[in-house]
Amino acid sequence: MAADYAIQTDGIEKIYRSRFRGREIRAVSNLSLNVPVGSKFGLLGPNGAGKTTFVKMLLSVVTPTAGRAVLFGKDARDPEARRPVGYLPENHRFPTYLTGRGMLDFYAALSGLAASERKKRIPEYLELVGLSNWGEIRIKKYSKGMLQRLGLAQALIHKPKLLVLDEPTDGVDPVGRREIRDILNGLTGTGVTVFINSHLLSEVEAFCQYVAILRQGELVLEGKVSSLVAERGVRVRATDVPDTALAEIRRLGGTISPLPDGVQVQVVTRQEANAVIDAIRAAGGMIESVAASSSSLEDVFIRAMETGKAA
Amino acid sequence: MELSTGRASALGALIADTFLEARARWLFWGLFGLSTLLICIFLFVLKIDVVAGAITLMGIQSTTKQVFDIQRFVNTSYSWVSIVLYIWGTLLAVFASAGLVPSVLEAGRISLLLSKPLTRTRLLLGRYLGNLSVVALNHIYLICSVWLIIGVKTKIWEPRFLLAIPISIFIFAVLLCVVVLIGVISESAALSVMIAVALMLISTILAQYENVVKLLSSEWSRQLWMAFYWLIPKVYDLGVAMKQLILYDRQANWIAPLWTSAAFGIVVLSTAVMVFRRRDF
Repeated sequence: MAADYAIQTDGIEKIYRSRFRGREIRAVSNLSLNVPVGSKFGLLGPNGAGKTTFVKMLLSVVTPTAGRAVLFGKDARDPEARRPVGYLPENHRFPTYLTGRGMLDFYAALSGLAASERKKRIPEYLELVGLSNWGEIRIKKYSKGMLQRLGLAQALIHKPKLLVLDEPTDGVDPVGRREIRDILNGLTGTGVTVFINSHLLSEVEAFCQYVAILRQGELVLEGKVSSLVAERGVRVRATDVPDTALAEIRRLGGTISPLPDGVQVQVVTRQEANAVIDAIRAAGGMIESVAASSSSLEDVFIRAMETGKAA
Repeated sequence: MELSTGRASALGALIADTFLEARARWLFWGLFGLSTLLICIFLFVLKIDVVAGAITLMGIQSTTKQVFDIQRFVNTSYSWVSIVLYIWGTLLAVFASAGLVPSVLEAGRISLLLSKPLTRTRLLLGRYLGNLSVVALNHIYLICSVWLIIGVKTKIWEPRFLLAIPISIFIFAVLLCVVVLIGVISESAALSVMIAVALMLISTILAQYENVVKLLSSEWSRQLWMAFYWLIPKVYDLGVAMKQLILYDRQANWIAPLWTSAAFGIVVLSTAVMVFRRRDF
């Protein structure tokens, strides 16, 4: 029977103990998560939230202190459970003595791909990531973006059912980021489950269907992106707003964010928006723009970080 | 060298990768370069006619005994040369291989390797065998070359000299277990070398037990010395046994040093695998 979930964790936990002092650091705490097969799932959290430790536990790079992880119904500790997984680690260090082709060949062989199949697929995947002309060049000559794309090819070459990407666009310029996003978008409809670990909220929002947010090793929020960002409102941008008007705007229900050349006021209803506009104009301020807005994933994330749950 | 040229299994890929890394780090060429240097030194030394030199040195006259004595002289030379190659080859091999385990444990490299459908045991053994293969090739090249040179020069071909190949590879395989264990625990190439070389020296000291135990006053200190002797791999004893075997010495004691060293290697490598399987990266 096919598993419904690509990833299932049940109360998974990791506690690091310092060798001499015996001090404990709880990197991940009692985390239970289900990632549906074929979904695009984003794991968010600030630095040190335990995202990478969680991913490493999924892949048996780190042994959980408690709980268990299951991949497609198989215990993650079983090497066979990792056969349908493609992984691109954060801060990877590919052997620099290999060429792009050699690197793909090596990792594909470790993934169990036969030599004849590797020979066929390597040019295809070099092409997919735009490195056809670089296959024979040693990877120490590659830029960060090229390494990241090659890493992606390495994660994809054995046609995994689950793709685990740890900060896939970290340190990559906007063009490279776009290219990576295009490759990932190309997986839509193929049934591949994509699990992205990132702190780039806009990317996760644009790509993922589901997110989970970690804070200090604990799961503080989980759900569909479309539900979490559904909260709508009106955003008013204005300049020359005197400080005396800000208190009145707050009283009217506006949330004020300073901008380099003025302020942005977020309100929930149209009535509030009209009242805020009136208050700004009465104080001599200039309205620059008025736009309907939805709550961004960033808003959801910040609230989750502040309160420990979604607002 | 690309892996795609062959039907490489995961283990084959790990062995080939060790070769590629050894080549890229110049360790492969360094080992072969230094071996070639030693071979050149032998060539140079043997420009002196060994057979004629032996006759002159030993004052051998043209009798039947002469052939026997020259054979004996060449065999003695072979045995001493084998000792030189044994020490030279083992030391160089330990230095060359020490960095190849810690390098694979670097963060960002090991996590990707561990994410593949391989057991950790296979991963570590692949690295071990790759390392061993690099050194084995070098030993075969070095010892066979010297054997050819001496054989061509003296016209005396002593096949027992080639015993230096399996014995040198064996003792390196045992020391490599130590290098792997220290590498897995500390990720330090320097510490791995220090401990492996120290074991070679300690083995030499402990092997002098026949003289030393007589000087020790208490029974427990004698037993402690002997316990350490049996525990530590017999680098010295195997070298001596090799020399005796080449000289057709029936007193050659190689079985006990062989199995005790093998047992040491198996225990140490098993410990390395156990530590590696339990470690977080």
